[in-house]
Amino acid sequence: MPGSYKCARCKHKVEIDVNVRCPYCGHRILFKERGAGIKDLKAR
Amino acid sequence: MDIVFSRLGDNEARFVLEGVSDGFANSFRRAMMSEVPTLAIEDVRIYDNTSVLFDEILASRLGLIPIRTDLSTYRLPSRCECGGAGCPRCYTVYTLSVEGPCMVYSGDLVPRDPAASPVHDRIPILRLFENQKLVLEARAVLGKGKEHSKWQPTIACGYKHYPVITIDDRCDGCGMCVDECPRGRLANGKGKARVIPERLELCLLCRLCEKACKRGGIGSEPAIRVDEERSRYIFNVEGDGSLPVREIIKEALLHLKESTRSLLESLDEIAGGTSDEESE
Repeated sequence: MPGSYKCARCKHKVEIDVNVRCPYCGHRILFKERGAGIKDLKAR
Repeated sequence: MDIVFSRLGDNEARFVLEGVSDGFANSFRRAMMSEVPTLAIEDVRIYDNTSVLFDEILASRLGLIPIRTDLSTYRLPSRCECGGAGCPRCYTVYTLSVEGPCMVYSGDLVPRDPAASPVHDRIPILRLFENQKLVLEARAVLGKGKEHSKWQPTIACGYKHYPVITIDDRCDGCGMCVDECPRGRLANGKGKARVIPERLELCLLCRLCEKACKRGGIGSEPAIRVDEERSRYIFNVEGDGSLPVREIIKEALLHLKESTRSLLESLDEIAGGTSDEESE
């Protein structure tokens, strides 16, 4: 899956390959990081 | 038409409007709420938001922050020379760049025009925790309350009929109406209840005094009668701080005048057209 993730336990940046697992601490819960794009919204 | 102010401050006004119809009073109220333009944030460009709130919720909250408005400086985008494309005469910009942990307040918005700052500095926008960041740019434009409630300059805007209270000679001064009145506008007089003149305008027209009088055994008709005076209204207007209340009242009346003028012009055109057809 494309996009960078962050480990919920050790807070390291993780790239998901085959397994959904942090290579540093082995934790399986990862948060997807916010994309770099700028967002334009209406304040309504 | 007469207006008599009993209270006129920057954010609150209480006045009596006389000599107008029900329809005009309602139109006036509606004009104050939804036809007076004011500044509010409309466009938000979010560069970074790692807070717990969604971007859309954050933008919605920013839109509801009241902003001080100078109607001589800004114009409605539809009436601007740029045609609504955007120029310093029709919009102003705010920047916000904060890193947690902290609470982000409306005072953290940095305006390009210092005169168009948020009315209150301590409106909480959101809370940032450790390592959370918020970087955005917001654009405020003039708009009217009829398009979105964020552009409403009033918080509370209402009116009621002027009360008329008559106490006839059958009143035996039992004091039941005095005890019952929730606004304390009655007092015991010499063998008869009387109205306290300074508190007359506080009357809710609830008629609890009439019911209490009938319960006292006066008969089928109460000795105290509460009526509404036609063509006389008590207005209570409270602004959110974006515009002084006197300016809200003035702009609303100008709008009503302009609407009436354009309606008369249209009627004249129709009348002129009808007479042309008859002559042919």
